[in-house]
Amino acid sequence: MDNLKKIIKIISSKSINGVADYISLYKEIRQEIENAQLQEQKGIKKIKLAILSSFTINGIKEVLSVKCCEIGVLPEFYIGNYNQYSQEILNKQSGFYKFEPDLAIVFIDIMAVLGEQYLLPYQISDKQRREWADEKLNEILSLIQKIKENLSAKVIIHNFEAPLRSPMGIYEGKHKLGFIESIELLNANLRESFKNDSQVFVFDYNSFCSKIGKQNIMDYKLYYLADMKIDLQYIPKLCDEYLGYIKPLMALNKKCIALDLDNILWGGIIGEDGLEGIRLGPTPEGMPFLEFQKYLLSLFQRGIILAVNSNNNIDDALRVFREHPYMALKEEHFAAMQINWNDKISNMKAIAEELNIGLDSIAFIDDDKLNREMIRKALPEVLVVELPEDSSLYLKTLMEMNDFNTFHITEEDKKKGSMYAEQRKRKEFHKNALDISEYLKGLEMTATIERANSFTIPRISQLTQKTNQFNMTTRRYLEEDIQKFSKNGRFLVVSVKVEDKFGDNGITGAAIVEKNIALENNIAAWRIDTFLLSCRVIGRKIEEALLAYIIKLAKKEKAKELIGEFIPTKKNVPARDFYKSNGFKLANIDNGREIWIYNMDKGYAHPDFIKVIIKEEN
Amino acid sequence: MKRLNSILSKVLGIDESLITDKTSPQNVDAWDSFNGLLLVSELEKEFNVKFTMDEVMSVKCVKDIKECLKRHGIRLLG
Repeated sequence: MDNLKKIIKIISSKSINGVADYISLYKEIRQEIENAQLQEQKGIKKIKLAILSSFTINGIKEVLSVKCCEIGVLPEFYIGNYNQYSQEILNKQSGFYKFEPDLAIVFIDIMAVLGEQYLLPYQISDKQRREWADEKLNEILSLIQKIKENLSAKVIIHNFEAPLRSPMGIYEGKHKLGFIESIELLNANLRESFKNDSQVFVFDYNSFCSKIGKQNIMDYKLYYLADMKIDLQYIPKLCDEYLGYIKPLMALNKKCIALDLDNILWGGIIGEDGLEGIRLGPTPEGMPFLEFQKYLLSLFQRGIILAVNSNNNIDDALRVFREHPYMALKEEHFAAMQINWNDKISNMKAIAEELNIGLDSIAFIDDDKLNREMIRKALPEVLVVELPEDSSLYLKTLMEMNDFNTFHITEEDKKKGSMYAEQRKRKEFHKNALDISEYLKGLEMTATIERANSFTIPRISQLTQKTNQFNMTTRRYLEEDIQKFSKNGRFLVVSVKVEDKFGDNGITGAAIVEKNIALENNIAAWRIDTFLLSCRVIGRKIEEALLAYIIKLAKKEKAKELIGEFIPTKKNVPARDFYKSNGFKLANIDNGREIWIYNMDKGYAHPDFIKVIIKEEN
Repeated sequence: MKRLNSILSKVLGIDESLITDKTSPQNVDAWDSFNGLLLVSELEKEFNVKFTMDEVMSVKCVKDIKECLKRHGIRLLG
């Protein structure tokens, strides 16, 4: 049995009730972790975590190691030397940089930041305090900048715990810039500084302390004896917060919530209690379910897919969606609905297949313990939520889950949920259309082509990372790369947004073209570096509209030839014949890479059933 | 005694049967300063007491811990 599985087995055989259990468990599995790291095992998720702090953080490595193993991730740690965070960051040769972490956590505590001012805040004037706040912010920003220069790892910087008390007491709030306000200001500026930074995340430690209770967070004995700024008993909770970043980094975040219906979306059983008997609405028994639905809806609104896995008569269930006055969730919010009398395991598989997602992307919520156990055993990749029996705790349980985090949410992501319902309508329309051209005309498509800008660059980068099927060259680009291309006058970077009468598909295509490359025979030519379409819009000739735009532009700028590269992969079979069927001639095959050439003397017309809008820069 | 021994065993990584009144940082390698504080934290949690800083600094062996708990009203059976 591979080492990680062995480790997980050991962990699941123990009961863990607090920090000491984690630490003693770590001692047990420590050797196994080291063995596993030495093994060259493929497919094992590994993470290198570096933690730099301004105080003693013993215990975090042990607890977080166990928690990582629990979720199937093999951890390796670099813990910065005691209070050496500044030196380690500023020294390019430091152990911190040599370690090359995947995730770097920087935890500077409020006492370290304030120094003497923590206990003697009114030694300085409000004016001096404002200068101090700016100075501190710049210090921290410089440190983070240094890290960014040397690492491409995700960086998590704690913000600061705003103090509970001030010597000014109730008069604190009357100052121009009081002590507590200056920390709140520092936090606000910190947040603002990284709003547009995709690499750095500010961990709201201030909020975490409030959650625990600022009165409780520190054990003063431990602080005076060993400079511990957080009570050992809360280290597991802090590590849970870190998992919120580790899970998306390891692609362990869940994209879909599959829900039971009875006693989940409403109280009671629709098949027995009827529409009037189920509990849902502004009454004490109905509110827990109503608010639970609303929170699910809020997750839908930011791109989480919802599905139903329920054993019910479909008519009974749909009646609730269509007729109950208090349903916050409607049919259109669900990407898939398996409402039948089949076993829930088959239903779950059907949902995964219909949505084209892995079972490991799904979280399952069901009030029935037996169903939960059954899914846990049969489909271990599915996250089965341990739902408390008390329905008044449903909302809290869902809110406290950290399994849905992602590092980036684009406008397309937010619409993902609704796109499934629109896609269902398109499929219906397709079924009923007489032929393909009637279908395509009837869609009334609009393709908006736009040069890359700060709004579209994240999505373009995302498309290059995720698109496998209709992708000519499968070149993966980070946001920084797309930015470089788009700033370079020799490159053309465009996105295509596709809308039809059923809805907006969002940006679903992109192209990167290199202009005026020097050819041996001195012919002015353009080269298509990247040309891709999301599988969502394959088969609608959008690719032809995009190609037409590129050809038109190349002609305008007097290019004689357009070169298209095709690099075959296992997955891009749908794109194989694109250049061939659009008038390109195969000129060469260089190490598997096909070079196709389009002669500009030829004309090219884009399909007339797509309305093309070229969005110019303002 | 059982609860105390179980915590000592867990934190110090030693077998319960080996714990005596004389067990101390001098004769247990694992009883370093961090584990000492972890012991304090676990004992406070288990017995629902709060030790003073002086008490923590004055504890030199298991016997001292027992005396400390006694002073806080914890009767250790067995």
